[in-house]
Amino acid sequence: MFYLDNGATTKPRKEVVEEYVKNCEEGFFNPSAVYSSAFNLSKKIDGVRSLILDALSGDEYKDRVVFTSGATEANNLAIFGSATNRTKKYLFSVGEHPSVYNCAQELLTRGYNVQFIPLSNTGEVDYDAFEKLCDKDTCFVSTMFVNNETGAINDLCRIRNIIDSKNPNCIFHVDGVQGFCKLPLSVKKCKINLLSMSAHKIAGLKGVGALFISNKVNLKNISFGGGQEKGLRSGTVNAGGILAMGKAVELASRDMAKNLEKIGKLKTLLLENLYKNFKDKFICASTEKGSPYVVSLMFKGIKGEVLVRKLDSNGVIVGTGSACSANKVGNRILENMGYSKDQVVGAVRVSFGFDSTEEDVIEFCNKLKECY
Amino acid sequence: MKEVILIRFGEIFLKGRNYSYFENTLFKNVERRLKKFNLKLERISGRFLVSDFEAEDKDDIIEAIQTVFGLVSLSVAYEVETSVDTIKSACEKIKLQDKTFKVEVKRADKTFPIKSFEFAGELGGVILKNNPDSKVDVHSPQEIVYVDIRQNGKTYIFYDKVICLGGMPVGTAGRAMLLLSGGIDSPVAGFLMAKRGLCINAIHFESYPYTSEQAKQKVIDLANIIKKYTGNIRLFIVPFTRIQEEIHKNCDDEYMVTLVRRFMMEIAEQVAKKSGCQAIITGENLGQVASQTVEGVTMTSMMAKDLPIFRPLISFDKIEISKISEKIGTYDISVLPYEDCCSVFLPKNPVTHPKLNKIIENEELLNREFLIQDAISKMEIIDIKN
Repeated sequence: MFYLDNGATTKPRKEVVEEYVKNCEEGFFNPSAVYSSAFNLSKKIDGVRSLILDALSGDEYKDRVVFTSGATEANNLAIFGSATNRTKKYLFSVGEHPSVYNCAQELLTRGYNVQFIPLSNTGEVDYDAFEKLCDKDTCFVSTMFVNNETGAINDLCRIRNIIDSKNPNCIFHVDGVQGFCKLPLSVKKCKINLLSMSAHKIAGLKGVGALFISNKVNLKNISFGGGQEKGLRSGTVNAGGILAMGKAVELASRDMAKNLEKIGKLKTLLLENLYKNFKDKFICASTEKGSPYVVSLMFKGIKGEVLVRKLDSNGVIVGTGSACSANKVGNRILENMGYSKDQVVGAVRVSFGFDSTEEDVIEFCNKLKECY
Repeated sequence: MKEVILIRFGEIFLKGRNYSYFENTLFKNVERRLKKFNLKLERISGRFLVSDFEAEDKDDIIEAIQTVFGLVSLSVAYEVETSVDTIKSACEKIKLQDKTFKVEVKRADKTFPIKSFEFAGELGGVILKNNPDSKVDVHSPQEIVYVDIRQNGKTYIFYDKVICLGGMPVGTAGRAMLLLSGGIDSPVAGFLMAKRGLCINAIHFESYPYTSEQAKQKVIDLANIIKKYTGNIRLFIVPFTRIQEEIHKNCDDEYMVTLVRRFMMEIAEQVAKKSGCQAIITGENLGQVASQTVEGVTMTSMMAKDLPIFRPLISFDKIEISKISEKIGTYDISVLPYEDCCSVFLPKNPVTHPKLNKIIENEELLNREFLIQDAISKMEIIDIKN
C-alpha cells in the first residue's frame, strides 16, 4: 500500500506507540489524583506543555497549553470561549476547515456579527480585502496557518500587522493543524493569541489535540465538569495520548528542517512527473510558495472520488478535495479561489507525511496512468 | 389483574377453506417478530393473545406487532378471573380523561349471571364514579370500553384500539425479486408488495468505483430496515460497472439509460427465476424521470419474458412515496447523498421516447450475453436476517 493521504491522518510513529503503551502499562493513573504516582504523571504532562510552547516559541511562564480531544474541540473552545460580545465584529477566512467554518456559522445563527474574508487565487487570505473588512470594532480574527486542501500558507505576521493597525486588542486565532511541527511558526513573532493543534497529523495518535492560549486572552470555558486543565477542559486527562503527542512533537520539531527539505523534493518530483505525463489534463491548485505537504490537483473529465477509488483498488491511497461528495456540495475553498464547478469536481489531494518516499510518488504516478 | 395484548386480524377471514393456512402463517410471522422478547403468545378464538411479558418491554412489543402484515389492530387489555366483583374492580382503574364513552359487554360465557346489556349499565356506573367529568353516550361515544367475558374463565377489559398495518401475511403470496437502488422509491415498493403477502428477495446493481462503498452499504442498511416488515431478505449485489462502461464506450449517449435498464431487467429476471421468485418488483413511477415514460417502461418491460413486473408506485406522487418512506423508516437513509449506478455516465439529454429499432441497433454493438453472464457469475449474495 502506498499512502498519500497524510492530510487526513498520519501513521503513528513507532516511538509514539511505544510511549503510549508504556503509559498504559506503567503510568495509567488519573493525573488529577493526590497520590505521588498521579502527581509524577501530571509533571510529565506539564513537560509536554513546555515542549509544545517551545515548538511554538511561546512563553513558558506566561502562556498556557490546554489539552483537548483534538483540533475540532480546540477550535470550538477558542471560538466559543472568546465570543462574548454580540456588538463586536468576528472575522473568519472563508477557506477555513469545517471545524472553524461551522463554528462561525453557528455564531451567525446566535446573532453575532460574523463576516468572511475571501481568498485570493493562490488560496491565501485576500489581504487587501481583509484590510478593508477589519476595523476598530473587530474583536476576533480566525485564519488558518496552512490550508488543508491546497497547502496555501497564510502570512500570519502580515495578518497580525493589519489587525494591530485597526485594533491591537483583537484576538487572533489560528488553526495550526496542517502546519504545526511541519513549518516554522512563532506565536511570539506573529502575536498569535490562540492556536489549535492536533497530534494525529504529525504521527501522533487520534483523540489528542491542544490549544495554545497566550497570556493576553481570558478564555471562557464552554463545557462543565471536574475543572481539569484549569477549568477550560473538564474531563479525565488523556495522559497516555498526551505523552504520546509529546513524543511526536519532540521528533517532528527535531527533524522539521530535514523533513521539509525531503517533502519539498517529493512535491517537485510529483509535479514534474505529472506535467510530463498529464500535461493539459490537470490543474494544480497549490502554488510553489505553499506547504509541500499538501498538493491539490484537479483532473479533467473524471470525478475526484472516482479516481480515488480506482487508485485505491490499485493500492494507492490519496484523498479527495473534500470529504463530502464533491458533486453535491461543491468545494468551498477551490471555488472561492476562482475555479469552476466543473474543474472542482475532479479534485484530488495528495498529502505527504514524514515517512513518505520517492517510491510513493512514483507509484502514484504509475497507477494514475492506469486509472486515468 | 394483569396486562395482556390482544391482536386482531382481518382480511384473512375472507379466505374460506384456506383459512387455517393463512392463520398459521400469520401466527408464525408474529412469533418470529416477537421471539427476542420473553413472553407467551397463544391463539384464542379469532385472535392472538400476548401475555406474561416484562412491563418495560410493553411498548417495544406493541411496536413490533405493528410491523406484521395481516394484523388489523391491537389493544392492551386487563385480564381478570371472571366474576362480577373482579370485573367491577378492574373497571375502577379505567381513566377516560373526560371523554364520552359507552360500555360493550360480550358474553361468550353464557353462565355469567348478569345479562350483557344490564351488566354494561352497571359497569358504566362504576366508570362514571371514577371519571366524574366523562359522560355516557351510547350513539357516538369517543371511547368504547369492551368487556369480553370468555369461556376460559377469563375476562378481557380494554378500550384503546391501536391500528396495525393490515394487508396479508408475508409468505402467503409467494416470493418476488425487488430491484433495490438506494433511492426513496424502491424500499417503499418492496414494503407495499410485502403487504400483499410476498416474501422479498432484492437485487442491487453496483458500479464501483463510480459509486462508493457507502452506496452499497446504504442498500444493505435499507434492506435491514424493510426486513422488519418483510422478514428475511436475500440480497444479490451485481457488479455492473463493466456493462455501463461498454455501453458508454459503444452506444448512443442518449440511449444510455434505456439500455442500462434493459440490462438490469434481464439480469433481474434471470436471478429471480434462479432464486425461486415468481415476480419482479420495481419502484418505477410514471413520468418521474426521463426513462419512466410509457415508452421507456415498455422497452424495459419486454426484457422480463416470463415473470410479471409489479410496480406498486406507478401512480404515486413523490410526496406520497416520501410519506410512506418516512413512516417505515427508510427515508433518512434513502436521502443520504451517495450516488447509485443510475447516475453514472448520465447523459445530458436521455431519450424520453426510445425507439425499439434504435435500441436493437445499439444492443447489437455489445456482447450482451457474455456481459450478463459475467456479471451474474461475479454476483455477491448477502442474507439480511431478522
